Amino acid sequence: MKPWKRKSINRETKMKQKVIFIGFILFLFTAVIAFSNTDEPEGLERLDNSVFENPHRPGAVFAHDDHNEIAQIEDCAVCHHVYEDKKLVEDESSEDSPCSECHSLKPTEENSISLSVAYHKQCKDCHFEENKGPVLCGECHIKE
Amino acid sequence: MNAFIDFIMGPMVWVAFLIFILGLIFKMVLIIKDINARESYVYSYLTWKHSLRSIFAWMTPFLPQSTKQSPVFYSISYIFHLLLFIVPIFLMSHIVLINEAFQVSWVALDDGLADILTVIVILALVFFAIRRHMVPEVKYLTSYKDYLLLIIVALPFITGFLAYHQFFFYKAMVIAHVISGEIMLILIPFSRFSHMIVAPLTRAYMGSEFGNVRHAKDW
Repeated sequence: MKPWKRKSINRETKMKQKVIFIGFILFLFTAVIAFSNTDEPEGLERLDNSVFENPHRPGAVFAHDDHNEIAQIEDCAVCHHVYEDKKLVEDESSEDSPCSECHSLKPTEENSISLSVAYHKQCKDCHFEENKGPVLCGECHIKE
Repeated sequence: MNAFIDFIMGPMVWVAFLIFILGLIFKMVLIIKDINARESYVYSYLTWKHSLRSIFAWMTPFLPQSTKQSPVFYSISYIFHLLLFIVPIFLMSHIVLINEAFQVSWVALDDGLADILTVIVILALVFFAIRRHMVPEVKYLTSYKDYLLLIIVALPFITGFLAYHQFFFYKAMVIAHVISGEIMLILIPFSRFSHMIVAPLTRAYMGSEFGNVRHAKDW
């Protein structure tokens, strides 16, 4: 066989190998997607997000008592703070009123921190400070 | 781990954007200095009128002759370049993070729509890779670097897509998403991604050469 013909056959087989290889990778990829995390993890305690008319994400996973036990938080005011005239009121806590009483869906002149931003910052700022706990979107807003 | 995430989603974002913007400015200065040193006669026929005319002609879909000759490639290319900017800038997850950091926000794409547009971007990149491999005259000009650049653009979109759906390795996927996005931004001034500022210069030169010297169109 003439050498240039041999070369073209080599190229064809190489091409075929490449196609098979790419096909195999795509197959693995689909298989992994198909068999991963399709079931909803059961018994997840989520925050009530019914205030949001059209929530873009499922409510954040949050088990209040378990969280505070692990985080060793006993003072309610650590999270349930009270602000007056944009200043933190020490030794007062707000666990009896819903967060949405002060934090409205959109920022207002009185309170520039909207409800979703308040939640996001309340959780993430502390988790970054303590270098513990979830900080990425989907770590709390786990798919339903 | 949170300290690391804080770093890549905090200071590293600033570093990436600074290198991207300052790098492009620096590159622009270098190019102009180079022109002044070696080809300053270009200025004898370079005009704003012919430069802008050429830039706008080539920004108008299917006005230039060569875009009419490859309608499939140019359609995909136009859509890809638009989505490359629209999807990340108007993605709700990105706007939420910007809102938390700077108290500003703007209109967001619907998540379902953004999901489809992301797939279109990835498919366009696959098309570009196949084209580089299949079209002889393009293959001749292609080196491994061109495939590498396609992969670098694809990675933020692929990892973003997988992270959004929370298919597997969620945390690792978001970290890969952030880092690959930053790598892409950082590489813009140092790679052929810099065509985002060099291409208009090419048009200015060609537009003026054709328009002002040969009195012809360059599109």
